Amino acid sequence: MGLITEKLPKMMAGMPGSDIIFTRMDAVINWARANSLWPLTFGTSCCAIEMMMAPGASRHDLARFGAEVARPSPRQADMLILAGTIVKRMAPRLRTLYEQMPEPRYVIATGACTISGGPFIYHSYSTVRGADTIIPVDVYVPGCPPRPEGLLYGLLTLQKMIRSGETVREPGIRHKPVTSETPEGITIEDIKSEMLALLEKDAVVDVRKAAEQMERPTGI
Amino acid sequence: MSTEQEEIGNLTQLLQEQFPGAVQSYHQHRGDETVLVERSQILPICQFLRDDERSKMEMMIDLTAVDYIKESPRFEVVYHFKSLSLEHRIRVKVRVPEEDCEIDSIHELWLAVDWYERECYDMYGIIFKNHPNLQRILMYSQFEGYPLRKDYPIGRQQPLVEMRPVNERHDYGEL
Ligand code: SF4
Repeated sequence: MGLITEKLPKMMAGMPGSDIIFTRMDAVINWARANSLWPLTFGTSCCAIEMMMAPGASRHDLARFGAEVARPSPRQADMLILAGTIVKRMAPRLRTLYEQMPEPRYVIATGACTISGGPFIYHSYSTVRGADTIIPVDVYVPGCPPRPEGLLYGLLTLQKMIRSGETVREPGIRHKPVTSETPEGITIEDIKSEMLALLEKDAVVDVRKAAEQMERPTGI
Repeated sequence: MSTEQEEIGNLTQLLQEQFPGAVQSYHQHRGDETVLVERSQILPICQFLRDDERSKMEMMIDLTAVDYIKESPRFEVVYHFKSLSLEHRIRVKVRVPEEDCEIDSIHELWLAVDWYERECYDMYGIIFKNHPNLQRILMYSQFEGYPLRKDYPIGRQQPLVEMRPVNERHDYGEL
């Protein structure tokens, strides 16, 4: 930004007709969008602390990428960093918040909890199994919690996505610039079905039988 | 435990004198006294523990329940009290049967008890009689069942909003 507003005018000043520059409109719009992502102040558990203390604070500094102005109102925000476990009671509120954000809006899911339910995926009556069951997610940053570098990489990935994707003619299209590799001979469908089978297997537990085998704890 | 049972703590003795027959059993471990008391007597016992000069429990520390699914009566409500001025504490337990899952609320004695009782109701379905606002506190009001009961189906999902279909979740348009 500083380069454009401070250095460029001086460099161009000597040339004839230099007060007009031609470029693609989409490029300018996407450049502006990618470099002024305003996150919504939203955090639900431990990942939120990590997000505030590490990338939000001075050492790693989210502000270098134009994403430091956390807005308390969804009407003023265009990026939602999902930090922390989403519980079922939170889910309707989260969807409302997402719907209240003006378009175009972007979502980064940080941490195992928002990707899949994380440590709480089994045997939980209250946790949502992945935030993408509630709202669409653009970038997933794994970790528990992710390293600050991870979140910054996720943010840069989102910027790349914004710059390469949407145009005025085709709003809402985002290209996925990075796809992680799966091992040879394994498809995403295999992983999904295996995961579902595991969940099903664990969901059926005969508690009375388990209690029969359990010893009574000491005390009265 | 048998040797411990012989030494009776001061507070336990006090309760036994004051409420003959109400203390069903007791034990103590390193000066930490535990009494199991009659369900109908819980309110007077708590009142006594708070007001008496010799016990002076100013602070309600915790209230929770345990589900012993094999036994009858099934539930056990556990109270922890502490005296700040006399520096001692006591644990009071009450058994509550499944069929008649009710116990007197003690919210009049300590205001802090209010939300503990709501949480206990929310998780175990134990009704606290005369509680001013006995509603779910952690779960949503549409939730069915009591999640910390051992016979709550462990994998049952009760989502509040409709989930997005799987094939929509990873849609990035044309790659
Ligand atoms: S992913 Fe780990 S650190 Fe993040 S909210 Fe879940 S449990 Fe906490």
